Amino acid sequence: MSVSKKIVLLGHFGVGKSSLLRRFVENTFSENYTVTIGVHIMKKEVLIGNQPVTLIIWDVEGTDDFTKYRPSYLLGASAFIYVFDASRKVTYSDLSYNLDHLSEKYPHVPVHIIGNKVDLVDVEALQQALNEQNIQADYLSSAKTGENVEQLFTDVAAQMLKNA
Amino acid sequence: MLKSLQEEFLQKNTQVIVVDQEAKVLDTTNTLMRVKKDTLLTDYHPFFYSITSLFDQEKASHYFYCVQIEVLSKQCFFDIRVHIDPKKAEAVLFIIDLTDHYKSVHQIKQVRNESIIDFNMAQELNNQLEVQRGFKNKFLANVSHEIRTPLNSILGFINVLQGTALNREQLDLVNIIKSSSQNLTAIVDDLLDISKIEAGRLEIKNKRFDFREYLDRLSATYALQAEEKRLEFTVEIGEKIPKFLVIDHLRINQILVNLLDNAIKYSHKGRVTLKVFTQSRNLRKIPLTIEVIDQGIGIDQEHISTIFDSFTQIEKQGLFGGSGLGLSIVKQLTELMGGQITVESTKDKGSTFRFTLDVGVSHDQKRKKIEKRKTAIEPVAKTDRKRILLGEDVEVNQLLLLKLFADRKEYSLDIAKNGEQVLKFLDNYHYDLILMDLTMPIMDGFDTAARIRSHSNKRINKLPIIALTARRSDEDREACKEVGMNAYLTKPLDEDLLFGTIQKQINKYKRKKDTD
Ligand SMILES: Nc1nc2c(ncn2[C@@H]2O[C@H](COP(=O)(O)OP(=O)(O)O)[C@@H](O)[C@H]2O)c(=O)[nH]1
Ligand SMILES: [Mg+2]
Repeated sequence: MSVSKKIVLLGHFGVGKSSLLRRFVENTFSENYTVTIGVHIMKKEVLIGNQPVTLIIWDVEGTDDFTKYRPSYLLGASAFIYVFDASRKVTYSDLSYNLDHLSEKYPHVPVHIIGNKVDLVDVEALQQALNEQNIQADYLSSAKTGENVEQLFTDVAAQMLKNA
Repeated sequence: MLKSLQEEFLQKNTQVIVVDQEAKVLDTTNTLMRVKKDTLLTDYHPFFYSITSLFDQEKASHYFYCVQIEVLSKQCFFDIRVHIDPKKAEAVLFIIDLTDHYKSVHQIKQVRNESIIDFNMAQELNNQLEVQRGFKNKFLANVSHEIRTPLNSILGFINVLQGTALNREQLDLVNIIKSSSQNLTAIVDDLLDISKIEAGRLEIKNKRFDFREYLDRLSATYALQAEEKRLEFTVEIGEKIPKFLVIDHLRINQILVNLLDNAIKYSHKGRVTLKVFTQSRNLRKIPLTIEVIDQGIGIDQEHISTIFDSFTQIEKQGLFGGSGLGLSIVKQLTELMGGQITVESTKDKGSTFRFTLDVGVSHDQKRKKIEKRKTAIEPVAKTDRKRILLGEDVEVNQLLLLKLFADRKEYSLDIAKNGEQVLKFLDNYHYDLILMDLTMPIMDGFDTAARIRSHSNKRINKLPIIALTARRSDEDREACKEVGMNAYLTKPLDEDLLFGTIQKQINKYKRKKDTD
């Protein structure tokens, strides 16, 4: 039987959470911004080694203040994917503050940090800005070009299986 | 009646589903979505995967707001309450359809979020521009400074060269070199100013100042320059203009010099007029209007809107396109002082530059500046040679000063290579005055001056010190005062100013010594 795992996408609004999910599940992308309200859930089955895993991915309405997340949305998650927008500093300037909150409330849930929209920035300059703020991104991705999208989700899934 | 209404509402908008621990449907009202008994609820929507894990939770009741679920390809928004009954190993789901409510919420958030993101993007762009401008200003300041140093020695040696036995032709050539070098210096100075203004490092310093006397001096200078070009020059100063104003006279001067220089440069005939007036007789603050009017070549209509453009914009048309950076500086200085500048111009008829500015009026219109008693330059007997110590590390500069002093029999010059040597020389010889370069290795000019002032020997600690520097920053000037230096001269050194200042300082020192 296939195992199912819940993953929650977190981050400011407009950073590309829904777009990453759509790219991953449907392999589509739209330039139009449609605000996500509440929660939008999609699933996708992946093979990790020989093990099929059903990823239940919760695309939660974005916010800059993680203390405002509704606990029921985050309940039972096996991993968090924290997405920021590489082209807007405000979306990662409060990252460590939000991480602190997560590690306090959900100490056992691993957090993966993703800088999205890399197609819009000079990666070297971004890297420098991130270093200045002591931010270590696990992946730099683009929902638009598809860069690293598949990789990041399967990587998250693989790590979940290892931890399980 | 009420009860039936409520039932009707619930029937239309709420669905109840009972499932077991595996999320298998045991019972359902099927009001909102059609699910079959004995099927897995997870087959209908991935949201329902979460139910199984709720059986492990302590809490019996869970509420999920605003869950997006597609029903018959229609996007719906449901609130879902899940109640766990651990004894029966069942969960009861209450699904409430709030699609209409959440759709209106969605619209509001769409607009709000879009505008916030737009604002962020604008900010981001702004920051990038700021950073770029910062780089440019710093680069500009550094380069200008680097250029200024060798330029200073060029100008210095041209002055020396002018004083040697040259024939007519050579003298003409030297004059050309000199005027080109002076132009270059002016440009470099402008660049320094611009980079300072744009970096916000230029401060306006208002002080009490004899404005009428200043205007007299300014007029005299420009009357001469106008005469050289066979132009008429008139000055009209309104009778309501007070004698003493509270104003940044350095910057006012910079503005007027720029405007008058241009007026004369771009006129080949007619008259240049300087008008200064005010409509007000206020005692504390008056609106001052200054006009510089010429009958020169005028400005093209197509250029008139860009002549004040800031450096950042000028670079598009080539750095020194029209009239150089002068007008851009004028505009920025005017605005820094809270004033405004405008221009009216007709091609081949002439231009009028007008700037208006609120200025403070000094409450005291009588007191003259504590006039330094003008001491006639006393002829110095050869036996009474003044001994001067120069602290300077750069060889060309040493050489230049040696040449300047070579013709002055009333002085002798010793040279120390750094601050430490200056102190050593002072301990061993008697001097009348010290010329001090500010940037020297081992011990710089500031440090050395501070040590001289705190020296235990009275003969040494009161010696007049004149700072010599290629930098022209206000901070340096202040810092020089701070450590007790008496005067501050910038390179390239003006020969007359140098020896005038030396003489003045020596006389002052002597008077003080006499009265002590
Ligand atoms: N250039 C670029 N635009 C992106 C990318 N990802 C998302 N966007 C755009 O960013 C906006 C917000 O995306 P969305 O996925 O709705 O963000 P969410 O609020 O985090 O879910 C949309 O206009 C997307 O088209 C990306 O990787 N590159
Ligand atoms: Mg979204």
